Amino acid sequence: MFDNFLVRSDSLKNDIQDGKAVGFQFAVRIADYRGCFLSLHNGYYVVCDGQEYGRECQTFEVNGKSPRTFGELKECVWEHWDYDDEAIVHIKKEGGLKPGLHELGLQQSILMQYGYGLHDEEWVQNPPIPGGAESSGKSAGIFAYTLKLQEGGTKND
Amino acid sequence: MIKRGVSLYSYQQEQFFHRMDFKDMIGEVRHALGTDGIEIIADNLIPKYPFPTPQFLFAWNNEMARYHMKAVTMDVFLDVLQFRDHVMNHREAAERLKNDIRIAAAMGFENVRTLSSVPIEVIRLALPTAEKYNVRIGKEIHFPIPIRPGNRKKNKYGMAAVRDFSMVEQILDLRQETGSPYVGLIPDFGIFQHKASKVTVAYERRQAKYPEEVDFLVENRKNYSFDELVELAREKYPDGEMTVMSMERIAIHEPVARPEDLREIVPYIISIHGKFYDMTEIPQQPGRYEDVCMDYEGPIRQLLQWGYDGYINSEYEGQRDQQDLGLEGLADEVEQVRRHHEMLKRLLTEIGKEEGSVSQAPAEGLGR
Repeated sequence: MFDNFLVRSDSLKNDIQDGKAVGFQFAVRIADYRGCFLSLHNGYYVVCDGQEYGRECQTFEVNGKSPRTFGELKECVWEHWDYDDEAIVHIKKEGGLKPGLHELGLQQSILMQYGYGLHDEEWVQNPPIPGGAESSGKSAGIFAYTLKLQEGGTKND
Repeated sequence: MIKRGVSLYSYQQEQFFHRMDFKDMIGEVRHALGTDGIEIIADNLIPKYPFPTPQFLFAWNNEMARYHMKAVTMDVFLDVLQFRDHVMNHREAAERLKNDIRIAAAMGFENVRTLSSVPIEVIRLALPTAEKYNVRIGKEIHFPIPIRPGNRKKNKYGMAAVRDFSMVEQILDLRQETGSPYVGLIPDFGIFQHKASKVTVAYERRQAKYPEEVDFLVENRKNYSFDELVELAREKYPDGEMTVMSMERIAIHEPVARPEDLREIVPYIISIHGKFYDMTEIPQQPGRYEDVCMDYEGPIRQLLQWGYDGYINSEYEGQRDQQDLGLEGLADEVEQVRRHHEMLKRLLTEIGKEEGSVSQAPAEGLGR
């Protein structure tokens, strides 16, 4: 769902810390027709310019709070990411991205579901790794975006 | 009497792009569609769900009162992995449902819709709360669940493999056992869908590694069982990467329910989802619309004949199959719902006239 619109086209920026680029960020919406409890958010499959960035490099900024790891979000069992709201995905990458255009591939992994499923116990022990279609919600694709790095960047400390 | 309404789910794309908020949607239903029925999805529309703020509740109730609207049904879900360290048990699931019932009551809703996959025990546990708050629980009869399973065999693959086909019977049993009118059914018109919509087929073709695989499924869907079809497609396109979910929606070639199956459940219907994918103009009939993959006429005739008293709420779902086409390719949700209401209004009037006086429903009604 919202295949071409999950990432805001003018949102790609570097994350700057102490004057140095430490990563990059982009703004996302939920790939569903409803919001979710943050605990269910299981991270993203992210590939930028051919390089994959696993969940260990990702933090998620939502609800006016500082970026949180997906390990931290797992504990947020009553906090909601509302359908209407944008969130920011931060990716750790020393030196950030170079100016110009970048190719981003994205698939969301959120463990929202329609009641009980066959994999429930398995997903408590071993949640799926983002990128397999099993937890990608309404669309199985890895959506591709060409984004221009915006100037300035944001301080992220 | 059958009344028209809209699930605001139908405007999900307008909401996504922040072009319509709930006030705009309510205004559209009142002014353009000339009706009052409103349905929502709780965790789509309620900010900070499941803790709506007093400000939101006041704003919602005010807007509904302003236009003299009817809060028909609030759709609720069941995310059983919410706590992540364990699978929610049935008592916990019932607590979630009870909380949703309290929210529904605070927003003036008469009913909550639970998923077809919610265990009957969860509904049983929440029933006293439903009675206390005067909110009925309706379990959705959603594709691929039939009203009457008959001899239908379960598939090995897809949704039809995991859904409980005795859902309707379980609800009727619970109702008989408790004598409570606070539990019932919410049929979705998807059970009367007789082929995949062309917007769905076109989307899957654009996404598929081999568009021919989609064509293969469309051409052969009547010739094989779904399980056989999945296996044949996998054999023919071993690296095809189509998901079973995609295959299942392409393979639809006959409805899972018959219109006449509605007869015996009419007294227990709480509200109805008017699912549709693509309203197009009927050839040679300017200004009249239909969804060529759904039967509306047959079911509406049955509902009128057996005296269904309640709402059919539009549930437009075709937009998601056009969201890969760029901004200019997006569907017009407002127009689609207007067309759907042209059809509903016309069928209700025309068939209503043909049927003349409405028969009594076979058992007691749920009306309050």
